[in-house]
Amino acid sequence: MTKFLSFISRAYVTLVFCIVFMPMAIILVISFSADSYLSFPPSGWSLKWYGTVLGNTSFMQGFRNSAIIAVIVAALSLALGLPAAYALVRLDFPGRALIRSLVIAPLVLPAMMLGLGILMVFTPAGLVATYPGLVLAHLVMTLPFSIRILQTSLSNLGTDVDEAAMTLGARPLQVFMQITLPRLTPGVIASSAIALILSFDEIVLSLFIVGPRLQTLPVALYRYVDERTDPMVAVLAVLMIALSLAIVLVVERSVGFAKAFGR
Amino acid sequence: MSLASTPAHIRIDKLTFDYGGERPAVDTLSFDIAKGEFIGLLGPSGCGKSTTLRMFAGLLAPTSGKIIMGGEDIVSRPPWERNLGLVFQSYALFPHMTVAQNVAFGLRLRKVGKEESAARVAEALRAVRLEGFGNRRPAELSGGQQQRVAIARAIVIEPEILLLDEPLSNLDARLRDEMRFEIRDIQSRTGITTLFVTHDQQEALTMCDRIAVMNGGKLEQIGTPVEIYDKPATPFVAGFIGRANSVPATLRLGPGAPRLEHEGQALPAPDLQELPSDAADGAKLAAMVRPHAIQLSRQDGDGLTARVNRSVFVGSVIEVELELAGGHKLVAELRPGSAEAQLAQPGADVALTWRTTDMRIFAA
Ligand SMILES: Nc1ncnc2c1ncn2[C@@H]1O[C@H](COP(=O)(O)OP(=O)(O)O)[C@@H](O)[C@H]1O
Ligand SMILES: [Mg+2]
Repeated sequence: MTKFLSFISRAYVTLVFCIVFMPMAIILVISFSADSYLSFPPSGWSLKWYGTVLGNTSFMQGFRNSAIIAVIVAALSLALGLPAAYALVRLDFPGRALIRSLVIAPLVLPAMMLGLGILMVFTPAGLVATYPGLVLAHLVMTLPFSIRILQTSLSNLGTDVDEAAMTLGARPLQVFMQITLPRLTPGVIASSAIALILSFDEIVLSLFIVGPRLQTLPVALYRYVDERTDPMVAVLAVLMIALSLAIVLVVERSVGFAKAFGR
Repeated sequence: MSLASTPAHIRIDKLTFDYGGERPAVDTLSFDIAKGEFIGLLGPSGCGKSTTLRMFAGLLAPTSGKIIMGGEDIVSRPPWERNLGLVFQSYALFPHMTVAQNVAFGLRLRKVGKEESAARVAEALRAVRLEGFGNRRPAELSGGQQQRVAIARAIVIEPEILLLDEPLSNLDARLRDEMRFEIRDIQSRTGITTLFVTHDQQEALTMCDRIAVMNGGKLEQIGTPVEIYDKPATPFVAGFIGRANSVPATLRLGPGAPRLEHEGQALPAPDLQELPSDAADGAKLAAMVRPHAIQLSRQDGDGLTARVNRSVFVGSVIEVELELAGGHKLVAELRPGSAEAQLAQPGADVALTWRTTDMRIFAA
């Protein structure tokens, strides 16, 4: 009986893995196709589509834009999220509980609604199809994540160590810079990595406010797929997955994800 | 009673803290601490010990009351201006710094020069017997070693007072005994005034010059271990420090000396000074006597009659459970091999006495 159960559970896990990884595996295979249309399995092999992608100005422009925006968004998420998380965990002020729950509101609202709202605010403000506009829109997505992760890390630190520093003569700013912040490194890295990935992959909000002069990579890819389907799409997907994976690996290697999320 | 006649190093005056619960967590607590004294703050969990320490350190602002240090009330000073050494139950070491950096932290903030700092760190580490551990990280140390780093970090700044919050409770039994002597030894070598918080009466009795016993936020008694043990001021102290039997007794004032009776039988004669001054004839009192003070004899004269229920050899003593005529139970401790121990056969009828000086009397 237990043998049977163990077989069932193993089969189940295998099935889930297949469902999750099959599309990625197929995309990876197709990216090395020599065909000029999407077909599986490909009739021949080549690296030519990788070359085509790297030579495509629209994609390369999109990549550059996305990378710049993602880096700025990650930095701002940290710069804005850290003080917010600190206040929500360590300081006592009226309405703290309410703000704590409101912070995650953007995560539960449909992205379409958010996008529409952002468009309505950004158009009169002249922020559509600008770097600041895209950065702001992405921050709406990433800040709740950053604040939540930093909030968890911060409350897991407890207050004893900071208080010990205080009794040894450290003023609050010294405590924060010399004790709290260094101990918060895993959370800082994790929240930045998440913000970076979220911003780089973001499409729904971006679709509302990109313009012909300023496109992100996911939007460029989306538009391209609308018109044509060739293995170039698979190549781009592979490259984007590889980038996200690289960031995740860096986090895992430097601090470990379990630690980064404060468990 | 002038301040000058009692040069208290530190004076806690009617200190009160209210978290907003049913009653204040610390309630008009007052006592003095002499320079160089090792004083224990003893009481059951939740009696307000940590709250008191946190007010001391400036991590909580008292609801009312004063903490006077060097003739000045320090209550309004922030923690970083108090020059106190606080050792947390969790040690609270800085995990991202080496042991030496941990210890040097307070000195660095005081802008002590590099050479002097290094010398003082080395000296503090020597005081806690951790020479050669300076380059380790806290995570590479055992619990007892981390504890000693925390103490070194606190004493290196030469604090007015060292505050230790249940420093031994996270250690295993063997290490606990070792650290008990270690901490007392460090204190006598450095001469630092120390407030040692514990819920363990054994720790307090063996380590402290004086003990302040707390219960429900209030001070029950303060005194030397011997005073606290031999002359408990309240039934709570009697029951909390060591083991104590409480015998319900009725006061008989009648003609002659006042007597105490239990179920019509006379208890050993009470010390008149012990009796509550307002006690009237027939007042219900409680007589407290330690298990080792009870003497057993044959039933042929004075003494409460009792029956032996059980007799258990526990090594250094024999523990005997006795039942009085009315059903009230007592525990006595007898020396193995003594004549008394011979009498203590289960089912045997015996007479119980104790010396007047071994009995404390409280209002019931
Ligand atoms: N942050 C807090 N908020 C509310 N009540 C508290 C808080 N901390 C402690 N208390 C209460 O105050 C009392 C004293 O606590 P504490 O000083 O920690 O006791 P001890 O250290 O003697 O075990 C306890 O009844 C406890 O429940
Ligand atoms: Mg406590």
